[in-house]
Order: sequence, then structure tokens, then C-alpha cells
Amino acid sequence: MRGIATKISGVAPLFLLFIAGAVSAFEDIEKLRIWPLPAEVSHGGRRMYLSEDFKLVTEGSKYEDPSGILKEGFDRMLAVVRLSHVVSGHRNSSSSGGSALLEGLHVIISSSTDELEYGADESYKLVVPSREKPYAQLEAKSVYGALHGLQTFSQLCHFNMKKKVIEILMTPWNITDQPRFSYRGLLIDTSRHYLPLPVMKNVIDSMTYTKLNVLHWHIVDTQSFPLEIPSYPKLWNGAYSPTQRYTFEDAAEIVNYAGRRGIHVLAEIDVPGHALSWGKGYPSLWPSKNCQEPLDVSSDFTFKVIDGILSDFSKIFKFKFIHLGGDEVNTTCWSTTPRISKWLKKHRKTEAEAYEYFVLRAQKIASSHGYEIINWEETFNNFGNKLNPKTVVHNWLGTGVVGRVTAAGLRCIMSNQDKWYLDHIDTPWQMFYANEPFEMIKDEKRQSLVLGGEVCMWGEHIDASDIQQTIWPRAAAAAERLWTPYTKLAENPDKVTTRLANFRCLLNERGVAAAPLVGGGRVAPFEPGSCLAQ
Amino acid sequence: MALNPPLLHTLLILLSLSTTITSSLPSQSLQDSPPYLWPLPAKFSSGDETLSVDPSLSLTVAGNGGGSPIVRAAFDRYMGMIFKHAYNRASSLLTRIRFLSMVEYDITSLKIIVHSDSEELQLGVDESYTLMVSKNNELSIVGAATIEANTVYGALRGLETFSQLCAFDYLTKSVQIYKAPWFIQDKPRFQYRGLLIDTSRHFLPVDVIKQIIESMSFAKLNVLHWHIVDEQSFPFETPTYPNLWKGAYSRWERYTVEDASEIVRFAKMRGINVMAELDVPGHAESWGTGYPDLWPSPSCREPLDVTKNFTFDVISGILADMRKIFPFEFFHLGGDEVNTDCWKNTTHVKEWLQGRNFTSKDAYKYFVLRSQQIAISKNWTPVNWEETFSSFGKDLDPRTVVQNWLVSDICQKAVAKGFRCIFSNQGYWYLDHLDVPWDQVYNTEPLNGIHDPSQQKLVIGGEVCMWERMWSTREAVSKGNITLTALPRLHYFRCLLNNRGVPAAPVDNWYARRPPSGPGSCYAQ
Repeated sequence: MRGIATKISGVAPLFLLFIAGAVSAFEDIEKLRIWPLPAEVSHGGRRMYLSEDFKLVTEGSKYEDPSGILKEGFDRMLAVVRLSHVVSGHRNSSSSGGSALLEGLHVIISSSTDELEYGADESYKLVVPSREKPYAQLEAKSVYGALHGLQTFSQLCHFNMKKKVIEILMTPWNITDQPRFSYRGLLIDTSRHYLPLPVMKNVIDSMTYTKLNVLHWHIVDTQSFPLEIPSYPKLWNGAYSPTQRYTFEDAAEIVNYAGRRGIHVLAEIDVPGHALSWGKGYPSLWPSKNCQEPLDVSSDFTFKVIDGILSDFSKIFKFKFIHLGGDEVNTTCWSTTPRISKWLKKHRKTEAEAYEYFVLRAQKIASSHGYEIINWEETFNNFGNKLNPKTVVHNWLGTGVVGRVTAAGLRCIMSNQDKWYLDHIDTPWQMFYANEPFEMIKDEKRQSLVLGGEVCMWGEHIDASDIQQTIWPRAAAAAERLWTPYTKLAENPDKVTTRLANFRCLLNERGVAAAPLVGGGRVAPFEPGSCLAQ
Repeated sequence: MALNPPLLHTLLILLSLSTTITSSLPSQSLQDSPPYLWPLPAKFSSGDETLSVDPSLSLTVAGNGGGSPIVRAAFDRYMGMIFKHAYNRASSLLTRIRFLSMVEYDITSLKIIVHSDSEELQLGVDESYTLMVSKNNELSIVGAATIEANTVYGALRGLETFSQLCAFDYLTKSVQIYKAPWFIQDKPRFQYRGLLIDTSRHFLPVDVIKQIIESMSFAKLNVLHWHIVDEQSFPFETPTYPNLWKGAYSRWERYTVEDASEIVRFAKMRGINVMAELDVPGHAESWGTGYPDLWPSPSCREPLDVTKNFTFDVISGILADMRKIFPFEFFHLGGDEVNTDCWKNTTHVKEWLQGRNFTSKDAYKYFVLRSQQIAISKNWTPVNWEETFSSFGKDLDPRTVVQNWLVSDICQKAVAKGFRCIFSNQGYWYLDHLDVPWDQVYNTEPLNGIHDPSQQKLVIGGEVCMWERMWSTREAVSKGNITLTALPRLHYFRCLLNNRGVPAAPVDNWYARRPPSGPGSCYAQ
């Protein structure tokens, strides 16, 4: 507590740094208030003001913005920039602006499509002039790269308390940026607690501020089944109540909302282990009334339901991946239920083999609907050589599996629970920051099999009341690990404290309930004090 | 006086419940249950019909005030809340059936009648309304809901109640009103229903304050008590004394004059008054960061220097600036927890005391009374914390409103002397006291021990986290076992807040602002 407080209490020390000039390159980066840090940044020492009618211009762009993704992104950017204070000072081309006036942003996008494609180019180049040129320039391959550029631009903008206008300090800026990993995820869990739509949308909006790009939606689990499945309309009888549900249209709306912000939605059904709630609507999915998990492996109906769900999913979840879970399968119910134990004997399968059979059959169904499959790591640990070779293994138990998965030639996503589980509230942000996906892997070919990582917000103790302060700011620490080039990352996380504290305050200004840095997750501020010092 | 800042989630928690409630609560049978309205209206009757509400519900207005932009903006806000589920009209079963049979929705328009065209928002403004929801009949071809109110602010309360009657039905994928026809006649029990926020101990960004104001309107609270400044920081721009906000935590943690005006405007659109507070002379150390002369000495900084005219010039300057921003008739001058040691220990203050033959308590009184006259000269009614009343009640300006916090019977004593009083007993209505269960908050009664009706009238209300008691009639809230009459409605209201994006915490946690104890339904936690 005290250590940080003295480092950044008040503003004076920051200003002294600006004036001093003779600071090392690393400290120079740290005084930039940008999170996550871009790949390449250079800046000057002048100041520009944003015109009160700051415009978007797109001359020379190949992208025609058919559904308004860019225009909306631009309007959102201006709205958050203007959210923290009333802009009442006058700055426009006819009056007081002069040569320090920035009249707009010129966006040039070279690809005409607005399809959100996984692994597509997310890079952008942002130039903010210092004088004489009235437009900042943002170049990107795709509109989604441009959205990232808009986020960075929004972080360069500050409110000037004296002139009461928006300004950009330290111009000219030259920023060239692209993500280190193509998969930068956040898991939310709507089975342990229902999350209302406005809450999910808030989470999605806050993800864009740190350039995360995959919302992993763990929709269903043992406790509740909140989503409408048109092919099997009784499944959502497993919801907590008639009102704690998502219609099919709600889910499509979430995908659409996320997609327009450059975020993929990865849907998950966690089979066969975490699926008790399925049987509320269709009890024959349970081995028996008093032994309700895992799903009945012996019945074709089980796989028909999975097929129905995935067929419905394929209409709304357009991400190339689907998550089939496969973790923590306790198969006791299979051998203690006479009907199933008979089936096991008939097919000469052990419980473990039945588990493998279930996972592989579910994989085939998912493939038939055009999906590539992600499974939790137990599937790899138990029968890795049988998995569909395009399977992406999702780590959670420990760190070693990333090495083994890539050695086996499979792709991998890292979410080791000791560092990247947000529900572990005593894990401080420094550990989130320091968790390095390539720690165990030096071989470049194997490194290329690590798609990225994901922080997991499991929902046992998370509902609408506390989700945002449990996610933030720790998820932001991981987001920089996943976005920023390795060479730019701090070896000692404490070096980035000031910049992250600033970003936490920025989240607060934008109405996101990010918790203080000091302590673990979801802490209340310890005592009165500045946001920047807590 | 709050010792800790009430954070957004704390405000909305209705604290814990010591009795254990097991899982399956109402959920299955919304139609058969008591009306899930919070706070409970003064009078209502309902029926047994279910009506569907048109997602393109239209607004028609009448009366002198019907055309007010406040009504239109509120209607648009509530449309967003009522129809928040993605609407695919083609796939809605009900729509298809209705389309085939050419039948329309039951409720296709909302009529709002406002009699007065005055948009002035003050204490005691008429907030009453009647709300009728019924199917079309011989008298009207179009099915409609009607809100009738004397003022736009009554209409806002009626809209809130209307929105709570509307529930999304997952089978028909349409918004329905159960138990129609409804006839509701409602008005608040107390004219002052407040919530205090503290922007000195921690800066609260403008957007966060707006979220709080918005959520206050859901519970029909009507006064945001803005404790702007305290000893820790001075985040507010004061054009007359521009160095004052040097006392902010940082140059980013500040409110401009325009920010404050925007907050007042935003609150007014929701029928909420903003009462500003300067807590003098005790809680004001941060003033001296910009003007060190306000401190008794650099080493003894609180309370404000009572000897200097400059001190009162600054107070007058701040109040003149604030008068342009805050139109509410009350201004809070604090006056609590004044430790006068610095006056006794600082040579020039000590000499001044001796010269006037003042004890330090006399000086405290002198300070408060002089500040009161400054506020009154700016056409403000002063509000002061209860210490001023308990120390020199008979000298207070008779217009003073006494705000209770320490002693439970202070309002009793204040109204007996003819003062108006606001109830905020710290034992029950301090949100930063996280260990007060919701039922104690609910059961706390501002009129306890006050029997004379003319004295009861002087208790103008209460402040902090007291949703329902401030609005509903005493009879209605105290009837029967509150675990049956109030708790299910409170669960429902908490989930409604969540559904509107407000991070209201579980109702039945033993300790407030704690995460849910385990997986489960919102309605059961």
C-alpha cells in the first residue's frame, strides 16, 4: 500500500519526469498513458486540441463501411473521450484553434470486407501531427485493426481542466501496432449466476478498452441452462427461473454486439461432465434420477441433443471455434447405473474409454457443423493422440501442458489457474502480468502453436453486482501480456504500476467498476486517497 | 457524516439478512404472487388478466405539461429498459399468432397527462400520480395505459411504476403486464428521500455519479446529497477562488463548474434534487492547499481559521458560485465533528478568542451562525448536522433543517423545538456500515417517538439507503412479517436493478458488499 502511494501520490513526481527529459527509454515508455503498450511508439513535445466538431473522413479508403461498424466505433470513441467532463471550451476552425487544431481523423482501410475473421490482420498505424496538418491519420488493413487504433487514439486524448477542451499532449505521435497473439480471451460463466444482457454488454465494451478479442461464453453448466435451444425447447427449463434466460435472439444480439466491436464469441457446452442442468428439461439425458451427471453415454438421444444444440449454434455463433469442455468428468454414475454399465460391457469399454468415446463423438458432431474444436486439457492428458488433430487444447490445470501439447503438434490456449483465474481473488495483478505463454517453449515452430491465452471469470461467486471489479484491472494486466511485443514487456511488473493505475482510473472514468490495484482482486479501497495511488 | 465513501455497489445493497433463505424462491409464479413493486404504492388494485405490450408502444400526451421534454426523454429511457431483450418480431410466437388473426397488442399506447406546465423542481413538489392499465373496452378502441399527474415529476414516478409492471415473457417473447387491470394511486410519504455521496474521500467520476442518480430514480429517491469537499480533497472548481481545487487529489480528479451543472441537469431530468454540502468549519482542511491562510497555522490546519474575514469571504465566494449551479432550496453547511484544539493552540486565534471573551465553543457557534447568514443571504435554507442543534440549538436560525446522524432521538428533540429534521441514524442508515442487515434498515422508522401530527410534519424525510419506507405509507410497510411481505419484493427489485445494469449486491448476504455465497438464482440470494 504505502510503497505505491509514495511512488505516485500526487501529480508532481509525474511532471518532474516530463521536465527532466534525461530518463531511460523504459521510464520514457512508462510515462505514456497507454494500455496495452503499442508495438512501436514515438512522440514529440507539442500539444494539439480536438475540434468541437471532430470529424471522421475516409477518403482513399477501400472499405465502404456498409453496416456502419467504423462510424459507430468512431462515435463511441468520441463519446468516451467526452464522457469524463463537459467540453465547454470552444475550439473550431473558424475561431481559436489555429495551427494546433485537430479537425478530424482520416481513416484509411485497405480491405473492403467487414467479415470478422479469426487470425486476420489487426494491425494499425496512427499518426497524430504536431502542427499545420489538421487531420490525424489512421491506417489499417481491416476495419477491426482500425477499431484498435481508435482505442489507442482515445487514450491519447485528455481533458484540459483550464481550457475545458480535449487535448493531445506530446505530439507528434507515430504509433505502429499489432497484437502479439491472435487469441486474447476472457471467459464469463452464465450458469453459476445469470448475467443480464446489459451486464454482458458492459463487459464486452470494457474488453475493447484493453484490445481483448475473444469472449468465451461458458453458457451452461451443472447449475443452470439459461439459453433457448429451438431444436430442444425444454432445455431452458433448466434455467434458475423463467426470467433468468437468454432467448435465441438475445444470444444473436450478443454475438452481433461483440462482433461490431471486433470481438469473437466462443460458445461452450461442457460435455459430458458439466451438464446436469440439461436433464431438467429432458430427464433421459441423466444416467438416472438420482445419478445425474455425466450425460448418458449409452443413449443416442444424448448425441442427438448435442447435434441439435450445435446445429442451432451454427446459425448464430459464427466464430470458427466451438468449445466442447470435457473437463472434470467423474464417470461413477456410468458404472453404477445398470443400463449404462451393461452398455459398457457390451461395447467392451472401461469408464475411461467411454469418456474418450463421448468426447470424440461430440467432436465429430461439431466438425460436421463446420466448427474447429477447443477442449479443456483433460481430454489431451487422457487421450491426446486420439483427438482431432485440429483440436485446440485449452490449458487450465498447470503450466506444463502447453509444452506437451505443442510438442504433440496441437494448438493451445493458456489459462493456467494459478495465474489467470480471476475467481482466485488472492492472485494479484502482478501475477497476471508476469504469466508468460512462452516460458517453457523456446522453439519457434512450437511457439506458433500457442494461439494465445485467456483469463477466466468463473461464476460461483460472481453476479451482476461484482463481476466488473473482479475482472478489472487484473484482466488488463494479462491483456498487455497478450498484446504487447515480448521485448516491450516489463520483467518486473512493479515497473508498470503507474501506467496500470492510470488505466484503472480511466476505466472508472468510463463508468467501469475496476477495483484498486493494491491487494488482490475485488478489493475495496483501503482508505481515502487518489485513484492514481490506489 | 460518512467515514468511508459509499461506492456504487454499497448503495444498492440492501444489506444482509440473518435468517437463512433457502433456494427456490418466487420465480415460478409471477402471476400468482404479490405485486413486485418497489417501493409499494400507497393504494392499488389489480385483477387477473394478462396483457401484452406493443414493442412500438406510442406516447400520447395531454395537459399543460404533457409536452415537456422531461416527459419525452423519460419515456424514451423507459422504453429502452422495458424492451431490453433482443426483439425479433418475426420469430415471436405471439406476433405470428396476432398477425394471422389480425389482433393487435393489448397495450399499444401510453397516455401521460400532466396538468401543470411548471418544470420547477423543489422540495415538496407534487410527486403524486395515478396509473391505470386496462384492456381496450367499449369506451376506448385502443388499449392503453394512462398516467395522470399534476407535475412532470409525478409523471416520472408513474413511469417508473409502469416499467416495474412490465415483465418480459420468455414463452411468447413479448412484454406482458400480469394481474391487469391495474389501478394505482400513489404519492410519497416523505418529501425528502435522500442519498449521500462523498467525493472528497474518493473522487467519483461524472459517469459514476450519473449511474447512481439513474439508479436512485428506480427506487423513487429524490435528493442527492453531494458531500463535495472534506479534509482529504477539494475536487470542485470555484471561479471566485480558483486555487481551491488545488486541493484535489490530482489534476484529473476534479469537477468543473460545467460538470456540476451537467450533474444537476441530469438529476433534474429524473426528478432528483441535488443538495450541495460544504462541511464547515471542521471538515475543511483541503481548502488550505490553495489558500493556506484558511488554516489556523501550517502545522494545525483544522478547523478553518475563525478569526479572519477572509475565511468568510471564501465561504461567501463559494456559495455565490454554487448558487449559479445548484437551484435546490437547501444548502448543507455541515458543522459536525468540530475539534477546536487548533483554535486554542494557535496564538493569533487564542488571542482573538480572549479579545472577544469567547470559549472555543462560542467560536464554533459564531462560525456556524455566521455561515448560516451567508447561506440565507444567497436565498438558501441552511441544513446542518445535529451537533449544531445539540450544542446551541436555541441560537440556530429558525429556518434551519437539522440532519440527524449520531443520536436516535435527535429528530424528536428538534421537531419539539420547531425545527425541521432529516433522519439518518448511523446505526441503521449508514451504508458504509456494512454489517447492518437489510431488515434493520427497513424497519427503522423516522417517526418513532413523535406522536404530535404537527411535529411529525417537521420530519421531512430521511437519507441514505431507505428505499421503501420513505415512499410507502406506514401501514403498508409494517403490515405482517416482512420476510413474507417485503423480502420477495426486495429480491425481485434487486434483480430488476441487475437487469438494468446496476450492480446491486445480494440481499441476503450476512455482510454487505460481499460476493454471492455460491451458485444460485438472483431471486434467492
